[in-house]
Amino acid sequence: MSSSRDDFSIAIRSALLKKGARQKFSLVFLFIVALIIFLLDVYQFKFVKLTRTLINDGIYRLSNISTAPIKLLPSINNKIKETIFAINENKELKVELETLKNKEFQVEFLKNQNDSLRRILDSDIKIKGKSTLAKVLLDKDSPYLKSIVINRGSKSGINKGMPVVDGNYLIGKIVEVNYLSSRVLLLNDLNSRIPITFGEESTQAILTGKSENKPVLEYLPELYTPRNDLTVFTSGKDGVFIPGIPIGKTELDGEILKVKLFSDPNQLSFVTVQLIKIREDNF
Amino acid sequence: MAILYKNLRANITNLFPLIILYYLSISEIDTHFSNMFEILSFNLQIIIVYYWMLRNSSVLGNGHVFFAGIINDVVMGLPLGISSISYLTVSLVASYVRQVTVNISLFTDWFTFLLAIFFSSLVHVVLISNFSSLQISFIDVSYNAFFTFLFYPFIWIIFNFYKQIMVLKTDD
Repeated sequence: MSSSRDDFSIAIRSALLKKGARQKFSLVFLFIVALIIFLLDVYQFKFVKLTRTLINDGIYRLSNISTAPIKLLPSINNKIKETIFAINENKELKVELETLKNKEFQVEFLKNQNDSLRRILDSDIKIKGKSTLAKVLLDKDSPYLKSIVINRGSKSGINKGMPVVDGNYLIGKIVEVNYLSSRVLLLNDLNSRIPITFGEESTQAILTGKSENKPVLEYLPELYTPRNDLTVFTSGKDGVFIPGIPIGKTELDGEILKVKLFSDPNQLSFVTVQLIKIREDNF
Repeated sequence: MAILYKNLRANITNLFPLIILYYLSISEIDTHFSNMFEILSFNLQIIIVYYWMLRNSSVLGNGHVFFAGIINDVVMGLPLGISSISYLTVSLVASYVRQVTVNISLFTDWFTFLLAIFFSSLVHVVLISNFSSLQISFIDVSYNAFFTFLFYPFIWIIFNFYKQIMVLKTDD
């Protein structure tokens, strides 16, 4: 019993007094110093107060500096969160903007489509007879063939040779009929030949496509003096087209009489097919 | 050059626990997580002092422990010397345990740490309640002691890993 008590006292003594190789102060010495400082501070001696004020000032500043990085952490964290939020929000907004743009385009497209249809419906000049409205599916410009593909075919009663108009202006005729689609040969195509009439004298001629925007008038009467700005109509002589469909205005280009079409063949979106009966021998 | 680098690395790694001790004392970093859990608070300085005094007293040194305590008092607004006495009490228990134990394990460390916390808190409470006009909640001190005790194994594991990269001289 006494032996264990001795061991305890030896160990405590050793712990308190032993400084070790790298220890400058023993524990007991530091205990005493700490206790003295504590008592001096608690009983508020004047010089201790002054010393404490100085120490406080120094350590508070040090503490402030040393804590600065830690204090920055929440703000950095907030910044990171804000940045991440902004990035995500930006992504969402981009998607939203894209969707809105698409919607805007759709609205614009529908508006234009509506206007176009309105123009067709509200047109003053009406072409008599049955007709069907068709949407242009393809109008890919080819250097060899000036034609468009529409979304109406034999199902809608379309036959080869039927005249196709944009509003009230002739743009071409059907040359190929499928069940649900058809191909329209435009007036400016090299293969297009339309009998026309124009001027006060009802001059007869053939409107021939030259693969340019403006088709030319051929087979004009002899000694005819070409003039500008005369409206060209279909003559209906071929028995295919209804007579009197407006086509364009004459335009003199040197000695060649061209026709500036009323309807731009490159700007077609909706067309009307005149559902007239065509005799096979006429076509 | 290689020796210089080795010495520099050894000094930096060996100084790390001391830097942490001073930094925790001087900075406003608190280990009170009342916003997360009302009663959760622990004293990391005591764990550092106990662990390194037990393992290798040359890493910290009693003088540094004393000064860290003084700084902590200034920052916390406690009477000067109270934390020093508290830390030195922990250091004393650690030195005693080091003297009387041969095998070191987490469980012996943890158990003896209980004694260190007990004496440290006791000294803290006794000195403040008897010599100062400050009022402290015994329950808060108890919770702090309890959670410090509870967290010891985690810090013990971390320090044990860290100790492997340190270049330590044998403790005397």
